[in-house]
Amino acid sequence: MIYIDAIIYSNLITILVIGFTLTYMIAKIPNFAHGTYAVIGGYVTFTLAEIFNLNPYLGIPLAFLIVGLITLLQYYLVIRPMIRLRASILSLMIATIAMEIILSAFIGIYVEYISRNYGKYGVYPSAFIFRGRDFKIFDLPGILVVSTVILISLVLLLHIMLTRSKIGIALRALVEDSELASNLGINTDLLNALAWFLIGGLAGMAGSMFPLYIQVTPLTGTYLIITIFAGSMLGGIYSIYGAIVGGYIMGLTETFGVIFLADILGVWVTAYRLLISLSILIAILLVLPKGISGLLESYIESRILKRISR
Amino acid sequence: MDSVILSLILNVVAFISIYGILSITLNLQYGYSGIPNFGMTAFVALGAYVTGALTGRLAMIYYGIDSNLDYIADNTKIITLLNSKVALDPPGGILLFIITIILSILFSIPLAYAASYPAIRLREDYLIITLIGIGEAMRIVGVNYTPLVGGTLWVGVPNLFKWAEPYDMIILVSLMLIIMFLIYLFIEILTSSPFGRLIKAVRENEITARFIGKDVTRIRILVLLIGSSLASIAGVLYSLFMGAVMASAFTRSDWTYWPWLMLIIGGKGNNIGALVGAVIIVIARQLIAIYKHDLELFLPFSVVWLEQILLGITLIAFMIYRPIGIIPEKPVKIRGISFKKIKQEIEI
Repeated sequence: MIYIDAIIYSNLITILVIGFTLTYMIAKIPNFAHGTYAVIGGYVTFTLAEIFNLNPYLGIPLAFLIVGLITLLQYYLVIRPMIRLRASILSLMIATIAMEIILSAFIGIYVEYISRNYGKYGVYPSAFIFRGRDFKIFDLPGILVVSTVILISLVLLLHIMLTRSKIGIALRALVEDSELASNLGINTDLLNALAWFLIGGLAGMAGSMFPLYIQVTPLTGTYLIITIFAGSMLGGIYSIYGAIVGGYIMGLTETFGVIFLADILGVWVTAYRLLISLSILIAILLVLPKGISGLLESYIESRILKRISR
Repeated sequence: MDSVILSLILNVVAFISIYGILSITLNLQYGYSGIPNFGMTAFVALGAYVTGALTGRLAMIYYGIDSNLDYIADNTKIITLLNSKVALDPPGGILLFIITIILSILFSIPLAYAASYPAIRLREDYLIITLIGIGEAMRIVGVNYTPLVGGTLWVGVPNLFKWAEPYDMIILVSLMLIIMFLIYLFIEILTSSPFGRLIKAVRENEITARFIGKDVTRIRILVLLIGSSLASIAGVLYSLFMGAVMASAFTRSDWTYWPWLMLIIGGKGNNIGALVGAVIIVIARQLIAIYKHDLELFLPFSVVWLEQILLGITLIAFMIYRPIGIIPEKPVKIRGISFKKIKQEIEI
């Protein structure tokens, strides 16, 4: 049971960390609204499942589309004008925080609208979970299988896209040097837009799966962003493969950490879940600020240096 | 009618003082030194928790009140008792007020140090996420740990100016304004001293500052300590003004994002700008609060969300179109050195 919890949570966190890391690579900024995208995805599932009484799994493609369009809009309205005006990295970060403020206000409006109009039918949008509406495969929750399949296929697809396809190679060129890439005839604007759509889409998709196993509230985004950030940092922030490892380690550590602490200290610990992920974040900052890929790099570097000096 | 206007004026002045402190201290950190403190909430909450958890308990010891009463469960009883004691003892009330402020500064120094230590030597984004996390953590601790400030409920604060009734609020609010101006003066003097030029140098080019032998990390930690411990005074004043402390009130948008907007609108890097930003935003929010019911006739949702959307949009608009703010930063003035002359000489 504990393992199922840990695997589902880690799958979803890893998808979020991949998107977050992609933002880091494309725009060189952390996107502080990333957790909020996931919450929007969660509300897409909520709307389909509770208001339209459909299968909650339909939320996955729809959330991909909706949140992808939101991030596309964010790119065209906020990020692109700011990059054109040569805004500093810090200003861009503050702009993503401002986006988080706006998006969470819209979530608040939506929650209020739903509880005002559908509250009489027993619909509570301020905290929801659809564990009971999930299907079972050999006594295992369906979301376990679905999220694992989605994560694995996402990793494979990303790998093939980034190494084999023209778009992926152009994207890597953009990450390396955006000006040089545009000189070589790559349409950096379109590529950026595509990347932002993908970033939002992935976050929305992960978020839409959350309510099938984990309770979602309007505040979930705040809790998630710290875990996502820690996972990305653990992976070494500029590496997609690092993000997969970092996200998974972070998801597992957090789940087992909470369970372990709840075992020895008591159930009250679960209320302080954010403090646990925050302490992991601080531990990573203190011990491994460059992440696993940074560790690997310095190891390779030292090997090379040794060979040269020999 | 008169009392309504008086209470409105008191409210506006009180919030200008509270947010003025936050905007000015944030200006010291972000405007002058380039440290993005997105954890202002943590320090405001700390000031408030000190007031909520310690002032009343200290007063109980000071006045020798029966300690069989549970401070949280019998809070209303204790506060009434304390108020009746303070009403007869002006020096005691003032002493408690000063002690509370000193305690909040003392408590916020270790918190600021612990919050900044892991990330301050690394990158700005790491610092932002740690401080956001610590701000949220403070609220979560306050809401979940009942003995502190009553958990999901609230805890009352004794009225330390009860002896001046019916002018107690006027005295408190004017004291708040005075404290705000004292902090303003302190930061103005600090930033126009050699130290002010040093932190500007650190902001402009960290490597150059390091190159001329300055310990950049230590300077940054020092600025963060000064800024956040002064910000915690705003938390004390807010709780005394409200007469109660409620942990769930310390949200990020109220205590971190609004002060940030004030600073960005007013103009970072100069204290007058920070103050002007605070005055504009407090008055604008007060107007929204006054016309709340009229607005809600048109809006299909609460005014809170309208405020929050306006906050985000204004922040982005200023970041894009006028990042220097209403009052832009001026070049440093140093006696005996004329920058115009130097500029002319360079151009020749």
